[in-house]
Amino acid sequence: MSLSISIRTELIKAKRSSAFWLCLIGSGFIPAIFLIMYLVRPNKIIPTLTEHPWESHFEKGWQSFAAFLLPMFVILVCSMIPQIEFKNNTWKQVFASPQSLGNIFFSKFTTILLMVLFLFFMFNFFMFGNAVLANLIFKKYPFLSQAPDWISLLKINLKTFVSLLGIISIQYWLSLRFKNFIVPIAIGLALLITSLILLQWEHADKIPFAFPLLTFISMSDGGQKSSLFQNHELNSIGYFIFFTALAFFDMKYRKERG
Amino acid sequence: MDNVKLDVPQGSIYGFLGPNGAGKTTTLRLLLGLLRNQQGDIEIFGKSFSSQRIEILKRLGSLIEQPSLYGHLTARENLEIYRRIYKCNKLRVEEVLKLVGLENTGKKKAKQFSLGMKQRLSIAVALLHQPELLILDEPTNGLDPNGIIEVRELLKKLNKEFGTTVLVSSHILNEVERMATHVGIIHKGKMLFQGTLHELQQMKTKQAELEIETNDNSRAVQLLQAEFSLQQKENKILIPFKNNEQSAKINRLLVQNGVDVFALHPQQSDLEQLFLDITSNN
Repeated sequence: MSLSISIRTELIKAKRSSAFWLCLIGSGFIPAIFLIMYLVRPNKIIPTLTEHPWESHFEKGWQSFAAFLLPMFVILVCSMIPQIEFKNNTWKQVFASPQSLGNIFFSKFTTILLMVLFLFFMFNFFMFGNAVLANLIFKKYPFLSQAPDWISLLKINLKTFVSLLGIISIQYWLSLRFKNFIVPIAIGLALLITSLILLQWEHADKIPFAFPLLTFISMSDGGQKSSLFQNHELNSIGYFIFFTALAFFDMKYRKERG
Repeated sequence: MDNVKLDVPQGSIYGFLGPNGAGKTTTLRLLLGLLRNQQGDIEIFGKSFSSQRIEILKRLGSLIEQPSLYGHLTARENLEIYRRIYKCNKLRVEEVLKLVGLENTGKKKAKQFSLGMKQRLSIAVALLHQPELLILDEPTNGLDPNGIIEVRELLKKLNKEFGTTVLVSSHILNEVERMATHVGIIHKGKMLFQGTLHELQQMKTKQAELEIETNDNSRAVQLLQAEFSLQQKENKILIPFKNNEQSAKINRLLVQNGVDVFALHPQQSDLEQLFLDITSNN
C-alpha cells in the first residue's frame, strides 16, 4: 500500500470540508479588504505605491496576514483535518483498513501541509487579483505597468512556510491527541498570543509561535542581504522534526485507537 | 479477556452474544487492532495479528458500533475512499450500492441519510473488497423494526449468495436466533457457551418444563409427586420436561384418577431465560 493512495483518499475527505472552506475564504479575507481600500481611496493610496508598487503591495499584504491571521488559520486547519475523523466517528474504520500506521499518519500530515500550501497559493492569487482589478477600474494604479519581483515573492512565501513548520507539527500532534477540537485550538491561540507578547525577548527565536512574525520582520528589514534561512527558521525545521516524531510515536503506542 | 477463542467456521453466521459490558466490543476491537492487547497474542485466520496486521485486515470487513461515514460526502464518495485503499475495481462501487439498495442516493450527503441508510452504507463499505470475514458489532442497534429486518436480510443474503462468513455481535438474543448458524455467548470476558444454533436449541429443550393446568391442582400434586419432582406456580404445576411419552403418561395418570386436564404442554424457556440461566450459573 503506497503512501500516495492514502494521500489521495485524504484529499477526497478534505474536499468540501470545513478546512477547505477556511483556506479558501481565509486566504481571500485580507485581499478583499485591500481591494475595498484601493477602490474607496485611490487618491490616498496611489502616491504610496509609486516606486515599487508590487513589492509595497505584497509587503503590506503579508504584514497583515503573517502576524496573526496566518498562524491562526494554520492552527485551525491542523485541528480541522483530524477533526474530520473524530466528528464522523471514522477513526476506527481508518485504523481497521489495511494501511500501515505510517501511511495513516503521514497521509493526514501531508494533507495538512497541502492545505497550508493551498492557503498560500490562494492568498498570492487573490493579492494579484485585487491589484489587477483595482488597476483595471482606476487606470492610475501602477500595477499593470510594472512586473512583480518574482524572486522576492517566492522567497517570502518559502520563508514564511518554513517558519510555520514548527507550529504545524505541534498543532498536528495536539489535534491527534484531543478529541475535542477546542483544546488544541485554545492551546495554539494562547501560545500564539504569548509569543506576540514575547517578541522583543532575546530568545524569541526559540518560540515556534513567534517564527512567522520574525520572518516577516526580517524580510521587511531588508532580509534579502542575509542568507536564505535565519536562526528561527532553522529552529522551526528542528521543532518540525521533533514534534512530528513525537506525534507519530504517540499515535503508534497509544493503547486505544479509533 | 480470558482465553477467548471464537470458533467461526467458514461460511457461517456466528452470533456473538452477551449482555452489555460482557466484552463483545472489546473482543471485536482487539481483533481489528483498535485496542492494544496488554498480554498474549491475537490470531485470525491462524495468523498472528501483531506480525501480519495488514495481510489480515485485507481479508476483513468491519463495522464497529455506530456508522463510520464522512457526513459531508455522498455515498459514492464515501465508497471511493475505501475503493482506493482496498484497490478494488471501479465497478464494485455500483455493485455494493445496488446490493444495499442505495444506488439512487445521487448527490445526497451521508449526513442527510436515515440511520438505516447510514448503517447499510457502512455495510457497503465493509463489503467493498469482498472480504472473507465480515465483523459487525451490533449492526442493528438503534434501527427501527424495518431497518432491523433490512440489515438481517442483507446479512443472510451475503452469507447465502457470496459465502461471506459473518461474525455479528448482539445483546438481542432473539435477533441472533433469527439469522445465526453458530452462537457464542460471552460473559465477563469469558466464553460461556459456543456451538451451533441447533446445540443451543437442544440446551433449551433440556431446560424446558412441562406446564400442567387442572381443575384440582392439589389432587394432581398428590398423584404426581411420588414419581416426579414438581413445583407449583400460581395455578400451574411445573415438571421438568423429558419427552413426549412422559407427557402422555402424566395425562393418563391424571385422567384415570378423575382429574380434568385443561392444559398440558412443554413450556420452553426462551433464549433470554436460557441466557440468564447460563450467566447466573457462572
